[in-house]
Amino acid sequence: MVLADLGRRINSAVSEVTRSSVVDSNVVDNMLKEISNALVEADVNIRLVISMRKKLKTKIESEDKPGINKKKIIQKAVFDELCELVDCGGAQVFKPKRKQANVLMMVGLQGAGKTTTCTKLAVYYQRRGYKVGLVCADTFRAGAFDQLKQNATKARIPYYGSYTEVDPVTVAADGVDKFKKEKFEIIIVDTSGRHRQEKDLFEEMVQIEDAIKPDETIMVLDASIGQAAESQARAFKESSNFGAIILTKMDGHAKGGGAISAVAATNTPIAFIGTGEHIQDLESFTAKQFVSKLLGIGDIQGLMEH
Amino acid sequence: PFGFLRNVIGGKKIQKEDVSKVKSVLSQHLIKKNVAPNVANSLISEIEKELVGSTTASFTSVEETARKSLERQLIKLLTPNSSIDLLNEIQEKVGNKEGPYVISVVGVNGVGKSTNLSKLAYWFLQNNYRVLITACDTFRSGAVEQLRTHVNNLSNLSPEKHQIELFEGGYGGSDLVAKIATGAIVYAKQHNFDIVLLDTAGRRHNDAHLMTPLASFARAANPDKIIMVGEALVGTDSVLQAKNFDKAFGANRRLDFFIVSKCDTVGDMIGSMVNMVFATGIPILFVGTGQTYTDLRTLSVNWAVNTLMS
Ligand SMILES: Nc1nc2c(ncn2[C@@H]2O[C@H](COP(=O)(O)OP(=O)(O)OP(=O)(O)O)[C@@H](O)[C@H]2O)c(=O)[nH]1
Ligand SMILES: Nc1nc2c(ncn2[C@@H]2O[C@H](COP(=O)(O)OP(=O)(O)OP(=O)(O)O)[C@@H](O)[C@H]2O)c(=O)[nH]1
Ligand SMILES: [Mg+2]
Ligand SMILES: [Mg+2]
Repeated sequence: MVLADLGRRINSAVSEVTRSSVVDSNVVDNMLKEISNALVEADVNIRLVISMRKKLKTKIESEDKPGINKKKIIQKAVFDELCELVDCGGAQVFKPKRKQANVLMMVGLQGAGKTTTCTKLAVYYQRRGYKVGLVCADTFRAGAFDQLKQNATKARIPYYGSYTEVDPVTVAADGVDKFKKEKFEIIIVDTSGRHRQEKDLFEEMVQIEDAIKPDETIMVLDASIGQAAESQARAFKESSNFGAIILTKMDGHAKGGGAISAVAATNTPIAFIGTGEHIQDLESFTAKQFVSKLLGIGDIQGLMEH
Repeated sequence: PFGFLRNVIGGKKIQKEDVSKVKSVLSQHLIKKNVAPNVANSLISEIEKELVGSTTASFTSVEETARKSLERQLIKLLTPNSSIDLLNEIQEKVGNKEGPYVISVVGVNGVGKSTNLSKLAYWFLQNNYRVLITACDTFRSGAVEQLRTHVNNLSNLSPEKHQIELFEGGYGGSDLVAKIATGAIVYAKQHNFDIVLLDTAGRRHNDAHLMTPLASFARAANPDKIIMVGEALVGTDSVLQAKNFDKAFGANRRLDFFIVSKCDTVGDMIGSMVNMVFATGIPILFVGTGQTYTDLRTLSVNWAVNTLMS
């Protein structure tokens, strides 16, 4: 994973401290500075980094009592703080229920990877024995229905869409209705890309949501997004109240820091990460695992036992 | 945002220490605008070089002097070295009957290559050229149908129905890509198309398997211009994206232009264009400002720099 780079820097900053014979506030400050730089270079929102740095500093100082291993404290504080950054207090992601219709609606910025992720998610649930259907409610983007149709056909997932109906609300409602009648358990609805600057597009999203009453709305976010992540995610949260995030393109070079800022800004957990263009390139996500990977599993093992 | 630094006014010889505080403020300011930290720092160390030892003008603080200097740097960076007159160049080639003018777009996944290619087509149609759009993305589902829809739309918007056509060869591997591209150029010659626009599949810039075929593609199609589409939304990765695409075509071929897409989605955080240009020196041909055919603009350097400095 490309996160290795960020992980290496954070790790070496921490071990710099753990190696030095005296751990004074100067050493700690240097470590915090280096961690902050690494995070900012990974696109984590700069204000978020500043506040994390303050929190870390307070934590490390407050637990600094005689007889306590300062290095362990530092390691654990950094691990916990990073976890918190991507974890949102251990909020649970959506678990679909068997033998009833679970409607999932995908939203997000243009080109984030919604349509691709729809089929990946469908395959994920189908393999776990659910009866899954896909609905294309993107009537705007050229070739959107063909894209979903070709993906669904390859993956043998039933799909619904229309070449003639231009109203996404109608297509969404019709598709969900049809699959509900046929006793589908998971119905995934793809929507057009949109952004907060265009009110009409957000209104459309709300209308679709009103029409299909999704059990879960999922925001799909490109891992390479930069500083705009936070304001876009906040705006999506306000209008759609999505309950989970899927991070795509984690196979790329970017470190996902922008997206992590979106997680923090909306206090919404990451459910899955996309790691490629192919149907099977989807992994489930846990914050501890993510941060462990970030910092290199070996180093973390010791921390987890505390 | 720089208010608290307003201290010394005029006639002060600037020392290194004076600049250091300004440096971090300016750098944070740029990072908030989505300029990559290493790009921001490089720009600012240039400023430091320029300022240390110089004297502030009367009624001007160190901070103000530094701001002015940064502004000049950004203007210099974003202003192309030579004027960009693509239409004129096309007219020369087409007028001399040297065959169709070939333009290809490249870039990472989902940035807006196909959409902005269609916007380019619209612009050329408005200028009365005959355009052949070519579907060289043989990988992503629906890529061909996406272009077909655009060609149908554009054909309806054109003064003359057959001013634009789609050349396609279906889906398949990368050997197919070069075949379609060269086939399209032959077809364009035979049917008097002035401009061939080659769409390509999105690819990760850090994946050699995907980047290597670009060089052979460029040799086969030999496009007059290769344009990288990069999106305004992307963060620090924009630096490496631009670098890696710029060097993907071998020693003798570079990118010609950028199109910076999705500028309408980032508010004032337009730093990714700074990253791309800083990393490569390649000029920006257009910025994409929306999802319709007319949402393609020449970059106003003044607007961009004001937005970055505000
Ligand atoms: N490398 C990589 N590419 C991905 C991943 N997920 C999606 N993509 C690619 O990203 C591009 C855009 O994906 P789409 O699924 O069309 O994105 P979208 O959000 O539906 O786009 P719009 O509907 O236009 O808003 C395509 O080229 C996909 O193949 C991923 O996890 N890794
Ligand atoms: N808001 C906005 N959206 C844009 C702009 N340019 C493209 N898009 C949208 O971005 C999404 C992806 O565009 P595409 O043209 O399919 O991107 P691509 O680079 O060809 O994608 P792949 O071929 O899958 O790699 C679509 O929803 C477009 O409508 C722009 O300037 N502004
Ligand atoms: Mg889509
Ligand atoms: Mg495309």
